[in-house]
Amino acid sequence: MHSNLVSFIQVLRSRDVRVSPAESLDAVDVAATLGYSNRSLLRDGLAMTLAKTPEEEVIFLQCFDRFFHCELADFNPADSPQTTDQDEPPPAPGSGGDAQAQDGDPGDEVSPLEIAARDNPILQSLLQSPLMQSLVQNDRNELTVAMTQAAEQVGLQQIQMFTQKGQFTRKILDALGEEHIRNAVIALERAGDPALVEVQRYRDILREQVRDYVEREYLLHAEGKTRQFMDEILSKTRLNNIEHMYLHKVHELVRKMAKKLISRHSRKRRHLKRGQLNMAKTMRKGIPTDGVMFNTYWRQVRKEKPQILAICDVSGSVAAYAKFLLLFLHSLQDVLPKVRSFAFSNHLGEVSEYFNDYPVEKAIELVNWKYGGATDYGNSLMDFAKLALDDINSNTTVIILGDARNNNGDPKLEIMQSIYQRSRQVIWLNPELRRSWGTGDSEMLRYQSACHFTAECNNLKQLERIVDQLLKSIE
Amino acid sequence: MQSQDFPQLASIEQIEQGFESFGYICSRKIATSVFLAFALRKPILVEGPPGVGKTELAKTTAMLLDTPLIRLQCYEGLDEAKALYEWKYGKQLLYTQVLKEKLGDLLQGAQGLAESVERLHQFGDIFYSEDFLEPRPLLKAMQQEKGAILLIDEVDKSDYEFESLLLEILSDYQISIPEIGTIKARTTPMVFLTSNNSREISDALKRRCLHLYIPFPTVELEERIILSRVPDVDARLRHQLVEFVHSLRQLDLKKVPAISETIDWARSLLLMHADQLDEDLVRTTLNVLLKFEDDIESTDADLRIMVRDSASA
Repeated sequence: MHSNLVSFIQVLRSRDVRVSPAESLDAVDVAATLGYSNRSLLRDGLAMTLAKTPEEEVIFLQCFDRFFHCELADFNPADSPQTTDQDEPPPAPGSGGDAQAQDGDPGDEVSPLEIAARDNPILQSLLQSPLMQSLVQNDRNELTVAMTQAAEQVGLQQIQMFTQKGQFTRKILDALGEEHIRNAVIALERAGDPALVEVQRYRDILREQVRDYVEREYLLHAEGKTRQFMDEILSKTRLNNIEHMYLHKVHELVRKMAKKLISRHSRKRRHLKRGQLNMAKTMRKGIPTDGVMFNTYWRQVRKEKPQILAICDVSGSVAAYAKFLLLFLHSLQDVLPKVRSFAFSNHLGEVSEYFNDYPVEKAIELVNWKYGGATDYGNSLMDFAKLALDDINSNTTVIILGDARNNNGDPKLEIMQSIYQRSRQVIWLNPELRRSWGTGDSEMLRYQSACHFTAECNNLKQLERIVDQLLKSIE
Repeated sequence: MQSQDFPQLASIEQIEQGFESFGYICSRKIATSVFLAFALRKPILVEGPPGVGKTELAKTTAMLLDTPLIRLQCYEGLDEAKALYEWKYGKQLLYTQVLKEKLGDLLQGAQGLAESVERLHQFGDIFYSEDFLEPRPLLKAMQQEKGAILLIDEVDKSDYEFESLLLEILSDYQISIPEIGTIKARTTPMVFLTSNNSREISDALKRRCLHLYIPFPTVELEERIILSRVPDVDARLRHQLVEFVHSLRQLDLKKVPAISETIDWARSLLLMHADQLDEDLVRTTLNVLLKFEDDIESTDADLRIMVRDSASA
């Protein structure tokens, strides 16, 4: 049973529930204490050791129900909703002969096949194969065991991709000895035998059950892996190439990355630098020790909180990137409390309040709608200077996201230079490849002279790295 | 704590009944967690919205086991001097003054500094022994002979540094004091940590605990809680008021009413001799349930419908 628990933990891990070896040991202890007899008790107990947040608990419960799926596969050929009736007790193993009597239906249906078999050698040999016998008798225990063994034999737990589902289904069917039925169907078809329909039906039931089984195992073992693979691909794709249907996945991914960065950087929230000696407190605390100053007390240096100004180009060519930068910055509220955002194309405005009033996705939509258009960097920089130049001080980081394609207008480099001189750092993120900077109407090379740091930024991996650096630099 | 000493915790059903006899009605999950924590000697990290009985769980367990409850309230800036131990500086100083002359006798006849120091060494570190140690809650819990319930309340309010301090205590039930060495718990205490989730607890701490999330109770469970806490409330009114509180929790409020507020409300309705809910009654007593003026105003419009719905439920 322990190996079962371990593979269950594997499944949880593939679903982003982090389970350490120590927690696995705890889980084994819990299972040993509570026993395996009471399912819901075991579930509650394991949830306490393995799931550490309410979200993880939801995933846990889902996986638990799938993994410890105790229902037997149903091979009852009756094509009525009756087949889904799970309360029906499974026939006791060993009493295979009696099993057909449990329900009037299968018992009745077996006989025509047997009658037909009397003068049909193909059917006769078919009925003698163990697989067909248990199918006809609907011996679910036997079949479920056979199916599980076959699955183990072909290594179903190694399933990785949804494309492998068909392949594994076929392998399991082969291992079960389905070719007997298949051959019989072909032979009966040639002979035009009326029993064909009946045999075909048994074959279809078997196939369906195996397919269901593979599907369940796939969901359990591979869905997580497929998702990890997908995340990996998405984080490396150029952001404006990502298809619309994957956007919500990318949002999730950004959240996940932001969470990682938060946990990495929030630790150093408290600044421990020691300031001047606090003489008054040191003396006061020395009174019980007869004026001997046992302990010294120091003032703490209060560091000004860093301020971030994010300026995003939301014109058509760059809008997709701006969206993700804003999403990233605003998902980092815990470690970046003071983010002001500005959006521009031909004019610029502050959009911070959208992010205060609406959820991030909605806010980004509004920003795009309000400020989208053709770009004019010169004009936008002037707007920015009016709005926020006076607020820039040595604690301010200015992040600019844009392709610096100014449609041959005046770049107003002098404003960039005054931002550069006042601020702590100016970071320019350009979604274009570095080698195309400065070509055509791009003013990037000129603006670069007024930046502390420039970077090419067109996929999530790069974005994450830059935000990580940003967080490091402002601590 | 040894299991034979505490038959109250022998099975999950017994825990449930035991809690009930002290007026703490709990779900099966909560009882399971207490059972496991005791059997596996692991701390429980209790999370959930304010007022669902996180602290109460520890208190009730202490009552059930008849052991002392040692409580450590966490806050920002809590450090080891307040949580673990402190040296009794005053006593140390006083003793050195008193013993000055004795010291003179001791050192009499010693030749030179080296010999004097040698002599002093013979007496060991008397001033840094357990007699001069002022135990704070965590150390106190380790020192209890017959075990204790240690409640570390609102651990999310403390600093990260304090969390790391807890790690040694929670996994090995021991405390290292540089001057003395390691002090092991005489009897393993049962530890409850509570958190309101105002910040993420570190993975290292979470890993050492059983994780219990207490959500708001179901209608049935909350009715049983009211029945045990305010037994005089009429059955129909009880049902109505619980239904009403549940419908309030569905709304988008600054602070949703917790169980403790439901109990308070039941008590106040009892004082007003109410036998069923009506709109005026609810409006005049709504401030027992809702603690923000904004919340009271925003529910005002829907009050009539909500009262009617919960009265008919």
